[in-house]
Amino acid sequence: MRTLFKNGRILDPSQDLDVVGSVIVEDSQIAEVGPDIDEGDVDEVYDCTGFWITPGLVDMHTHLREPGEERRETIKSGTQAAAAGGFTTICCMPNTTPPLDNAALVDFILDKAAAPEAGGVFVAPVGALTVGNNGEVISDLAALKKAGIVAASDEDYPIQNSRVMLRAMEFALQLDLPLMLHCDDRNLSAGGSMNDGATSAMLGLRGIPRSSEVTMIMRNCELALNTGCRIHIMRVSTWGGVEAIRQFKYLGAPVTCEIAPHHFVFTDEAVGEFDPNFKTTPPLRTQVDIDILVQALNDGTIDCIASDHSPHPSHLVDVPFEEAPFGSVGLETTVGAALTFLTHRNFLSPLETIRKLSTRPASILRLEAGTLKPGDTPVAQVTVIDPEIEWTVDRNKTFSHSRNNSWHGVRLKGKPLLTFCGGEIYRDAKFDASRFVAC
Amino acid sequence: MSRCVLAVRHMEAGLLQSLVYRAAELKAVVEKDGPQSQKRPRVVGLLFFENSTRTRVSFEQAAFYLGHKCVNFSAAGSSVSKGETLKDTILTLKHERLEAMVVRHSASGACALAAKYFGGPVVNAGDGQHEHPTQALGDALTILERKGTLTGLKVAIVGDVMHSRVARSNAWLLSKLGNEVRFVGPRTLIPGHTSMLPGQVHYDLRAGIADADVVMCLRLQKERMADGMISSVAEFVRMYQVNRSSIRAAKPDAIVMHPGPLNRGIELDDHIADGAQSGVTQQVTNGVFVRMAALEWVFQEDAS
Repeated sequence: MRTLFKNGRILDPSQDLDVVGSVIVEDSQIAEVGPDIDEGDVDEVYDCTGFWITPGLVDMHTHLREPGEERRETIKSGTQAAAAGGFTTICCMPNTTPPLDNAALVDFILDKAAAPEAGGVFVAPVGALTVGNNGEVISDLAALKKAGIVAASDEDYPIQNSRVMLRAMEFALQLDLPLMLHCDDRNLSAGGSMNDGATSAMLGLRGIPRSSEVTMIMRNCELALNTGCRIHIMRVSTWGGVEAIRQFKYLGAPVTCEIAPHHFVFTDEAVGEFDPNFKTTPPLRTQVDIDILVQALNDGTIDCIASDHSPHPSHLVDVPFEEAPFGSVGLETTVGAALTFLTHRNFLSPLETIRKLSTRPASILRLEAGTLKPGDTPVAQVTVIDPEIEWTVDRNKTFSHSRNNSWHGVRLKGKPLLTFCGGEIYRDAKFDASRFVAC
Repeated sequence: MSRCVLAVRHMEAGLLQSLVYRAAELKAVVEKDGPQSQKRPRVVGLLFFENSTRTRVSFEQAAFYLGHKCVNFSAAGSSVSKGETLKDTILTLKHERLEAMVVRHSASGACALAAKYFGGPVVNAGDGQHEHPTQALGDALTILERKGTLTGLKVAIVGDVMHSRVARSNAWLLSKLGNEVRFVGPRTLIPGHTSMLPGQVHYDLRAGIADADVVMCLRLQKERMADGMISSVAEFVRMYQVNRSSIRAAKPDAIVMHPGPLNRGIELDDHIADGAQSGVTQQVTNGVFVRMAALEWVFQEDAS
C-alpha cells in the first residue's frame, strides 16, 4: 500500500524543511519526503496543492476526562476531536476521577485509546505527581513511567508546598521524567474567577492576580535550576511569567513552556457580561500580556502551543460565572487560532508555527512524533492543513461531548483537512473529493 | 424584550433620573392616599438566594403600595437546598406564572442569568459584589430630598468598596448624573484597578471626604478581618470611621449615609448615625418608593 501526498508545501521543522513537494507513505511508514521523489506506483493520492503537509501535530495538554468524568469527554470522543484538530499525538492530563496516580489506570487509558472505535491518535498519558492529587505524597513515579506516562503533572492541583516540589523534582530527575507544572499560588488566587484587573473590579468578581502565576513560575524554575530536573510550565498567561522563564532559560534552567491559544487572543474584557465560556485557568489577561506573550512566541521563549482542551457539560456552565468551572474546549480550534492570530499576522513563520505545534512538544516529551523523517516514528503521522480556508467556529459542530467554547462564532483562517496516523483518521468535509484518488 | 433593572452601569442617565423623580411622586401619593389598587394586579416573585430582611420587606411594601401581590421564595427550605440549579428554579417559577422577579443572589451576574431564563421583567435586588440598583436609586432620592439637586455634588464612598455592590451602583448612578465620585478606603479594600469604575481613589479619609456634600459609608463585613484585609477593627476605626472629628473635613451641611445594617461604632459613631447629618432612616424609607418606581417601570413595557 503506497499513499502519495502530492504537491503540497512540506513543513518539517525536524529537518528545517520548507519546500513544495510530496510525501510517500508505504505500508504505514513514511518512505520518501521531498521535492523530487520517485512516485512509482501508488494506491492512493491526496492532491495537496496549495496545502501544507506537516508532521502529525502533537498536543501536550488535553483533558480527556475519562475515567470518571465521561459526561464531559471520553477517550473516544476526545481522540476523535483531536484527529479532527490535526493532532496525531495528544497528552492527557491526570486530573481525572480517580486521578491518574497508578499504573492500572495508565493501562486503562492506553487500552481505550488504542481501541478501534477511538480516534486513532496516540495518547501519551501524563501521570499525577502526587497521590490522589493531594499535593503532599509523591506518586510511584517509577511504576507510572514503566506503565507508559511521558511526564508527571500537578495539573489543577498546583503543589503549594515547596519542599514537596523539591522532592518531586529529585525523584523525577532520577527517573529522567519531565514535570509539567501548573503554576498558581492558591493563597493569592483563592476565590478568584477571572483576571484581577479593571474588568473584574467593574463586574464585582474576585480577581486572580498575575502574581499568583508569576511567583510559582519563579519558584518552580528556581527549583529546576537547583535540581536539574526538566520542567515544563503549562499555559503561561502573564507577561511577568514569560519574562521569568526567559531569565531562567538564560541562567540555564531546564525549563520549557507552552501557551494555550485563548491566552494570545482574548483579553479579560471578553468575559463581557459574565460569559462563563471565557472563564479559564489561568484567566484571560490583558493586551499588555498578549503583546509580550506573542513576542515570546516569536523569539522562542515560549516553546509550544497546546490546546488545554477542557470540556465541561452545559449544565455545569449555565450557572453564575463564579460557580462555573474553568476552561474551554480547544482541540478543533488550536490550529486555526494559531494560523489566524500568529502565522497570518507574521508573528510566526509557517515552519515555526508547525514547530510549536508538533516538533517541539514531541522533543520536550521525547515522543516518537513531530517529524516526517522516514523511520523516526512508529507509523507515519501526517497532517494536511489548508492555511487559507476561512471558517466560522460553531460549538455544535464538534466531536467533543462538550460545548463550552470560547471560540464559538469566531472567524478563523486555516484548518487541518486531513489527519493521517498509520492510516487516514480524519478527512474534513472541506477536503474536496476530487483531491483524493484511489488508483 | 421585557424591561429589567439589572445594573445601573447599563442604564441611561435620563431613565435613572426619571425613576428617582417618579419615586418622589409616588412617595407623595402614598403618603396622601395610601396603597393603590390595580385593575389587574401582578404577581411578583421575591427570590432571595441570599439572606436579606430589609430589602425583601422593602420590595414587599413597594408591591403592596402598587396593588400587586408578592410571592416569597428563599433558598433555605426550597428546591435549591435540594440541589436545583438557578436555571431550573427560574424556569419553574416562570411556568408557575410569576410576572416579574426580584432576585438577590450571592454571585455577581446571577440576576442577568436569571433574566435570560425568565424572559420577563427582573429587578436586581443585589447580585454578589456587582450591583444593587434599587439601593442606589433610594440613596439618590435621599440626596435629592436633602440637597435639592442630583447633580454637581461631591460624593465620597467610604470603606469596603471592593466587596460592595452598593458602592458600584451608587458610583455609576451619581457619576452618570454629573456628580464627582470618590472611593475612600484602605488599599486592601479598594480594587487595584479602577479604570473601569467611575470614581477617583483616595486612601486618606480626610482627603477623600474633603469638601464633600455626601459621605456614604459602606458596611464592613466581619469576614474581611479573617481575610487579613484589615488588621483590626480598632485600626479601621482609627483610620476610616466617620465621626464628629473626621466629618469636619466635609462640608458643614454634608449628609452621611449608610446602606445598613450598621456596625455602630465602626463605620459611624453614634453622634453621626443619630445626628442631624444622618440620612440613614430616610434611605430606608425611600427604598420603598424607588422600588415602587422600578416595579411600575418594568410592568409598563408589558402594557404597551
